[in-house]
Amino acid sequence: MGEAYIVGAGQTPFGSFPDRSYRDLFDEATRQAIDSVPEEVDSGRIDEVVVGTLGVGGRQIGLPGPAVSEHAGIGGVPCTRVENACASSGYAVRQAVQAVRGGQADLVLAGGVEVMTDVSDDVARWWLGVSGETEWERLTGTTFAGVYAQMASAYAEEYDVDPSVLSEIAVKNHDHGAKNPNAQLGFTCTVEDAESAPVIADPLTLYHCCPTTDGAAAALVASDDVAAEVRNDPVQVTGVGAGTDSVGLFQRETFTGIPAADRAATRAFDEAGIEPRDVDVAEVHDCFTIAELFAYEDLGFCGRGEAPTLIAGEETTLAGQLPVNPSGGLKAKGHPIGATGAGQAVEVFKQLTGDAGERQVPNADRALTHNVGGSGGAAVVHVFEEVSL
Amino acid sequence: MTRISAGGAYVPRLRVTAETIADVWGTFRASGIDRTAVPDADEDALTMAHAAAARAIKAGNRDAGTIARLHLATTTPPLAEEDLTARLCSTLDLPDGVATATYTGSTQAGVQALVGAVQADTATVVVAADAPRGDPDSRLGHAAGAGAGAVLVTPDGGARIDATASHTAAYPGTRVRQRGAERTRELGVRTYERRAFRETVTGAIDRLDIDADSVDAAAIQAPDGDRPYRVANAVGIPDSAVEAGIAVRDTGDLGAASPLVGLVNALAGEHSRILVAGYGSGAGASVLHITRTDTVPVDQAVAGDVELSYAAAERRRGTFDGAPVSGGGAHVSVPSWQQTLPQRHRLAAGTCRSCEALMFPPSGACRSCGATRGYDPVTLPGTGTVAAVTTIRKGGAPPEFAAQQTRSGAYASAIVDLDADDGRTVTAPLQIVLVGEEDIAVGDRVTTTLRRIYEQEGVPRYGLKGVPMAVTR
Repeated sequence: MGEAYIVGAGQTPFGSFPDRSYRDLFDEATRQAIDSVPEEVDSGRIDEVVVGTLGVGGRQIGLPGPAVSEHAGIGGVPCTRVENACASSGYAVRQAVQAVRGGQADLVLAGGVEVMTDVSDDVARWWLGVSGETEWERLTGTTFAGVYAQMASAYAEEYDVDPSVLSEIAVKNHDHGAKNPNAQLGFTCTVEDAESAPVIADPLTLYHCCPTTDGAAAALVASDDVAAEVRNDPVQVTGVGAGTDSVGLFQRETFTGIPAADRAATRAFDEAGIEPRDVDVAEVHDCFTIAELFAYEDLGFCGRGEAPTLIAGEETTLAGQLPVNPSGGLKAKGHPIGATGAGQAVEVFKQLTGDAGERQVPNADRALTHNVGGSGGAAVVHVFEEVSL
Repeated sequence: MTRISAGGAYVPRLRVTAETIADVWGTFRASGIDRTAVPDADEDALTMAHAAAARAIKAGNRDAGTIARLHLATTTPPLAEEDLTARLCSTLDLPDGVATATYTGSTQAGVQALVGAVQADTATVVVAADAPRGDPDSRLGHAAGAGAGAVLVTPDGGARIDATASHTAAYPGTRVRQRGAERTRELGVRTYERRAFRETVTGAIDRLDIDADSVDAAAIQAPDGDRPYRVANAVGIPDSAVEAGIAVRDTGDLGAASPLVGLVNALAGEHSRILVAGYGSGAGASVLHITRTDTVPVDQAVAGDVELSYAAAERRRGTFDGAPVSGGGAHVSVPSWQQTLPQRHRLAAGTCRSCEALMFPPSGACRSCGATRGYDPVTLPGTGTVAAVTTIRKGGAPPEFAAQQTRSGAYASAIVDLDADDGRTVTAPLQIVLVGEEDIAVGDRVTTTLRRIYEQEGVPRYGLKGVPMAVTR
């Protein structure tokens, strides 16, 4: 089996763009990805396109992959749309890696796109609910935030947690997001701001929840030969792990973690041959602040119940031992559902190639992305390492 | 079948006081009423009928499989056309072969359903449930309450139905609801209305040939707290008997359920000579004379422990509903929904045929062992412990629950460890009903109750919700 490398990655700003179309956004992300490759790469060299999108608003449910590829000038090649809710483009990256490693393709564009802000609040809330379990869980009247809030209630019952830790995570990610020109909510906030915000689903306030966002992101995944040709510091995908679990929270074996993410991480670390402590920087799936707490534990950054300690010790800030979500995370950078996984790949690519500007983590050699679908029905973890070719 | 073996009654917990209504409209237009009951946003005649009938069946320690007939009476069915007794048979777990009848069209429907059961001569659940509505500043609007009463009419039982009689006389226009209208209107000609009531009710009572002054409980139709006494006086039934047989002072006008709720109350009070008199506009009255010789077990959940402001009460009735919600609802097709009715209506779970693990819903591969050999049915008793929970407040509800939240405020979404009779538990998601400032936490115990879940494709969907055991009456 060959290796797979990220040789270029780029994204649009994440935010609200009423005058942009989903095709248009994907095109821009593709341009940014191609432009980030030192050697000029013609889009005609792309063998395959994998696109992650949920289709919020009901736009282009059928064949969105070919629709955006064609618009970006990469029509004609094999193309598919991957859907695993918020883990769609994380899975798209995985699929691209599989194609390259398996010798099926030399250069694959893996990306994602979502437009969410051109619909009413009610319609947006409906779409946010489709990634939960519809027939039983949703009909108790819960939204997405509600399911994560339920997990938070179980976590608080089991471990003695200072409730302000959820707000500390929001503060940290906003701090990082304020340094990210592409972030939707690029402003800092305080614990008081977070705690006094309206309650969405007890104990989660508005500030503990990611926004609805428009955006696209894309990564170019290349084989050994192509990678060596186009840059001397590609980012190798050293480990990939993915897993699934019950779509509805109520049928899982635990409510205080995300087993699919745990499984995915174990597989990724095994394949990469490293331990969690070897990771220098991570982009994790903080759709809600409680999700970042679970990520630390599912990824093995600390033991069960110990995530609040990492937050309290500021270990996951930019200046800490293991910076998490230097981009601002889903919370401050934004969460265009289908694009988030690819967006995480873009951030770690920038970090490992020294291109992360004010958010740069010094001496970052190994990075991890953690992308979760729904409340944990699917998860995918990638481990990356900067190499010289 | 001429006996009554058990009774059940359900009146919503919510009340609005006559004083509150008087403050808004300048005066309270109905006499003899202190408070009226208000159905919660997800309650209606069907959910209240279930609550009363389930209590009657349980109080009577009756195996649902032995019931042969169901009579449902209401003037306010949630659907103008569709036989709701079918859903009630499902929620009550009655056998397929049950014969059903729906009585409607006037407030006499409750006693008509009861008389019909006497005539049918087979084990029957008779339940009347109603939530009348009138114009906000009318007598009927002020007096309107909500509730349900049910009795089991069976060959054995502590109370014997000795005689029935009716009187019908055409008195058009006293109390009318036009087709398609939400609100019932009264003519407002008091003497005419009283004459209709008096002629038919006393006419029917006279036919019974009873000793009026020996009646010790008179469950007389109570559109207010005054009418029953007038009729009782006219035939010689003591005031104390009326006092023992009506609930209207604290519930308001219960429509078709009025005489049955009164009857259940009379049975609870261990009265021996009971008169039940129902009246409906049109007009007509039916009466029954009942002799109670032994205890008749009853279960009444009727106390009103929550008082609402006028605005809160009107919001619950749907007067201030807010903007219509776009965005669609959770897409569960009607046929898909129908497949899951045993779970929605009765918490039908199953044990894996391979490893005997308990599953809910009992479908798909076993979560424990992965086998796809199917499940043996297990019915859960309907109690459980909260394992994870969140309270959903304004702005947090998905579109299909937005109207409910606007009308009745915060509710909780929980994962509950449901009890099985053998001591095991199985997790299920449940909405928890919260009233006012009530809250719910991990570890709390809950029971379940039938409520309206949502409506999609024009079809209302009903299912079980959780209620904190701490406030269960």
